[in-house]
Amino acid sequence: MFFHIVLERNMQLHPRHFGPNLRDKLVAKLMKDVEGTCSGRHGFVVAITGVDNIGKGLIRDGTGFVTFPVKYQCVVFRPFKGEILEAVVTMVNKMGFFAEAGPVQIFVSNHLIPDDMEFQSGDMPNYTTSDGSVKIQKDSEVRLKIIGTRVDATEIFCIGTIKDDFLGVINDPGAAA
Amino acid sequence: MPRRRDDDDELDPEDEQEDEEELEDEEDYDDGGGRGGSSKKRRRSEFIDDVAEEDDEEEDEDDEEDDFDGGHRSHKQRRRTGSEFFELEAAVDSDEEEDEEEGEDDFIVETGAELQDEEEGRRMRRRPLLPREDDQEDFEALERRIQERYARSSHTEYDEETTDVEQQALLPSVKDPKLWMVKCAIGREREVAVCLMQKFIDKGSELQIRSAIALDHLKNYIYIEADKEAHVREACKGMRNIYSAKVMLVPIKEMTDVLSVESKAIDLSRDTWVRMKIGTYKGDLAKVVDVDNVRQRVTVKLVPRIDLQAIANKLEGREVVKKKAFVPPPRFMNIDEAREMHIRVERRRDPITGDYFENIGGMMFKDGFLYKTVSMKSISAQNIQPTFDELEKFRKPGEDGAGDIASLSTLFANRKKGHFMKGDAVIVVKGDLKNLMGWVEKVEEENVHIRPKMKGLPATLAVNEKELCKYFKPGDHVKVVSGAQEGATGMVVKVEGHVLIIVSDTTKEDIRVFADNVVESSEVTSGVTKIGDYELHDLVLLDNMSFGVIIRVESEAFQVLKGVPDRPEVVLVKLREIKSKIERRVNAQDQSKNTVSVKDVVKILEGPCKGKQGPVEHIYRGILFIYDRHHLEHAGYICAKAQSCVLVGGSRANSDRNGDSLASRFPNLRASPHITQSPRRPPRGPPMDSGGRHRGGRGHDSLVGSTIKIRLGPFKGYRGRVVDVNGQSVRVELESQMKVVTVNRNQISDNVAVATPYRDTPRYGMGSETPMHPSRTPMHPYMTPMRDPGATPIHDGMRTPMRDRAWNPYAPMSPPRDNWDDANPSSWGTSPQYQPGSPPSRPYEAPTPGSGWANTPAGNYSEAGTPRENSPAYASAPSPYLPTTPGGQPMTPSSASYLPGTPGGQPMTPGSGGLDVMSPTIGGESEGPWFIPDILVNVRKSGEESGVGVVREVLPDGSCKVALGSTGNGETITVSQNEMEIVVPRKSDKIKIMSGVHRGATGKLIGIDGTDGIVKVDDTLDVKILDMVILAKLAQV
Repeated sequence: MFFHIVLERNMQLHPRHFGPNLRDKLVAKLMKDVEGTCSGRHGFVVAITGVDNIGKGLIRDGTGFVTFPVKYQCVVFRPFKGEILEAVVTMVNKMGFFAEAGPVQIFVSNHLIPDDMEFQSGDMPNYTTSDGSVKIQKDSEVRLKIIGTRVDATEIFCIGTIKDDFLGVINDPGAAA
Repeated sequence: MPRRRDDDDELDPEDEQEDEEELEDEEDYDDGGGRGGSSKKRRRSEFIDDVAEEDDEEEDEDDEEDDFDGGHRSHKQRRRTGSEFFELEAAVDSDEEEDEEEGEDDFIVETGAELQDEEEGRRMRRRPLLPREDDQEDFEALERRIQERYARSSHTEYDEETTDVEQQALLPSVKDPKLWMVKCAIGREREVAVCLMQKFIDKGSELQIRSAIALDHLKNYIYIEADKEAHVREACKGMRNIYSAKVMLVPIKEMTDVLSVESKAIDLSRDTWVRMKIGTYKGDLAKVVDVDNVRQRVTVKLVPRIDLQAIANKLEGREVVKKKAFVPPPRFMNIDEAREMHIRVERRRDPITGDYFENIGGMMFKDGFLYKTVSMKSISAQNIQPTFDELEKFRKPGEDGAGDIASLSTLFANRKKGHFMKGDAVIVVKGDLKNLMGWVEKVEEENVHIRPKMKGLPATLAVNEKELCKYFKPGDHVKVVSGAQEGATGMVVKVEGHVLIIVSDTTKEDIRVFADNVVESSEVTSGVTKIGDYELHDLVLLDNMSFGVIIRVESEAFQVLKGVPDRPEVVLVKLREIKSKIERRVNAQDQSKNTVSVKDVVKILEGPCKGKQGPVEHIYRGILFIYDRHHLEHAGYICAKAQSCVLVGGSRANSDRNGDSLASRFPNLRASPHITQSPRRPPRGPPMDSGGRHRGGRGHDSLVGSTIKIRLGPFKGYRGRVVDVNGQSVRVELESQMKVVTVNRNQISDNVAVATPYRDTPRYGMGSETPMHPSRTPMHPYMTPMRDPGATPIHDGMRTPMRDRAWNPYAPMSPPRDNWDDANPSSWGTSPQYQPGSPPSRPYEAPTPGSGWANTPAGNYSEAGTPRENSPAYASAPSPYLPTTPGGQPMTPSSASYLPGTPGGQPMTPGSGGLDVMSPTIGGESEGPWFIPDILVNVRKSGEESGVGVVREVLPDGSCKVALGSTGNGETITVSQNEMEIVVPRKSDKIKIMSGVHRGATGKLIGIDGTDGIVKVDDTLDVKILDMVILAKLAQV
């Protein structure tokens, strides 16, 4: 789920940036530092949409660095257990398939794929139903439900399932072609 | 009625039931009260009858038996009482003998016994056994009756709250019957007691003993309770296995001890998992199918380890070669296969269970499993932790889920203390509350208080620990805390009963574990990551000089992604197949000649993994191992040629290490080949080579990175840098043409030879703590900051000792270093131990400004107070001479010679002139004549067998005349330096010192301390501590 929230962060700025563009530098650094990171609480920081307030800088003894408390608005993406997401399949193997929903990588184990779908190896590995009507392969779009999440410093990893009602392939590139 | 008795014969081998039966008899007897003997007997038989009848119907095999017995009916009846004991004994006897044999083929032996009995058919048979199904009821009935019976006795009124006084009153007094200890045959204790019981039943009140007790832990004796010794003797009269000659009275005080119960009962019940302790099946998992408490034997189900061929051979009377060490692998028995091999397979029914078994050579098989009766002592039932695979084997098709519950109970029994913790989600697996879910509230020893999930139940319920199992939901993140996968973490994707399927965090593979073995956890690890010295993601050198990164650690082996850039090649290697870990820090050049070091992010531009990007984890021989977390195969590792990659952004490694020091970035500080190159010098300094050598230890790769000239062939006269060495061929990057060519190793020039002394002296390899870092020029940049003027000496101290040691020799390379030295004179002046006191070290110090750096290490160490092993060495070293320093020393000569090459820093002239300025000692050391006559060397001439030889003569060009053979009695050959290496002396070996002030002296190695050898010099009888690398084993003459 995406959220638009306000976060705060203390930014350390090198003295060499002090000058007319200090503010810009600060914002640029903020973006560089924050975008793409993730936290267990807020999830992925997708983008910074605005800077609300930059507090007074505090010069650090010894280093000359200046610490600014910065309040900024950002869009975060956080997957929740039980959430239904649409994702693009990025890789299929015999253990299941990986899909991506924006920055989040989701793994759907073969235990969580309906039993009637079988793994077919080959140069385009896929999961196919016995009648061949439904096929999950790379670049398929699937709707899945998240059953577990794990948050690292740099990524959020989820386990998803398509073994439920209304879940599964929603757009098959193979069929379209 | 007596016919029944005959039927029992078939059941003979099972005398387990006998006890109960005997008890029954007793019961009957009691009930019968005053009735006569005959009625007593009848009653008993009746009792047995209904039981036996069932058996009878099932019994269809031994008809002759019936006929035969029919004829002797009356006879038997008559003889019942007296001879019964002997019968019993005789029967048991044969069993006992089998026991002692402790063979593998219990089944057959028992059948044998049966047959024997049949032959001697006239004998009385034992009474029938009770079929198992009746056990329960009988037990209950029995229990009731016993309670009724003893309820009458005077002692039984006490209840739970017996006071001490009451307890005291129960102790035996002088008035009570006494306990006598009677000797009997070893192993027959129980039997004897049972016989006495039988005798008592048969003879009734004639026998004036009160009880007979056999204790499991007391061999050779039984206890008999009686008022008088004479009664005991009387009772024992005429009985086998009892030696009533010796009857000892147990003192009243000790009587209680005799019967105090040890609560050590092993809970061996059916379906328990056990492990075999001895024999072919040692260590194998087995499932108990039957327990015979009386005979202390269990029947277990095993996966057979049978060599059918061997059996076939044996049956056909062929010569059987006994291979003792060979244990056939466990494999299910395939009866058809056995038949094909003409092994006689009998199909027979087990009289007890009614199941059919295939009988091969006395072994019983069913569904491919071997059923084997063994002594309880030969199995262990404690702490059995069956692995998943083992259990899987036992789980036959058709038996899943439910069957597991029983076996799980064993697992539960092995739980550690504190298995359940507050807050754990649990599910009840047994009893009325089965499938009730809840959370642990409190744990009290055996009982766990749970808060049930279901409404309408009490707030907490106390449930026995054994009835509970942990419960996880898909999506839970868990850590495996025991079992084969211990340590792994992952997310639950499926719950199958008590088995969880987890997707491992690191490998993204499925792991099957027991719910019991995991705990909920948020941490991320990958399970076992280390075997021996090798850890997951280590770069290792394999046997055949190939190398790779460990991408997976399995139970006994590693999966290694080999350093082949064209295609991912994964091999499974055993621990012993790994030669060493490669820890050297080297750099490589990317496509645009940028220096790539570890941790730099690169992008792959060519090859199968084109477009992938990630930090470099390892570099070796121009091959990069890149970790791309989006790459799911091979644990995210990609192997690529450095040339086919491009550095992304700045070099992180450098900037990281340099911190903010910009000084290090000045190009003139880099001893990069392009800058420092001088016509006379190979671009890479000897020390680099030596560094390279440290790692490789020996051989081929030492050449890598050095600049050579091609002597012969189409490229004659070209100069180039060696990029790879593969056996005899060397790949050389030509300087004049941007291409890499392959030439034969012996076609490359003496330029190499110049470097060879450094390079190929194996001693360097031995002092191998010297890390790689300094070895390659590109590293220098990041070595430099340490000598940054801003850096404090402490800073150095904080470095790992290894690095300290390593960079020292390089100190002179960078001008800032000198400043630093000036600024901190103490840093080099503070090592008096070896500076002034050591004349031999003078040569190092005096002529060159390098003296400053030569001493620095010590200064730094002491200042920094780093607890290095070196420091004590300095202090304690009787000789202040350099070799006392383990790691640093061997470096010194080479760095000394390197010194001249240093761009700018030193007053030395570039070129090999530096060497000339060096004192002879150093020159001698570094130039090569490490080898001196009479030492043992390993000759490794290409294409020939390696062998030991004795150096006879050192030729001026550095090669040696070597006499082959450990005593030098073989042929004499000329060997160049790089084809031989010193034989490392071991403790107590005679040695020769190859370098330093004692060069040429012989001595004895009296001890080894790390890289130092403690040497007793022959001439002076002094004990010296010398670096191992300058010691060579002396040939025995």
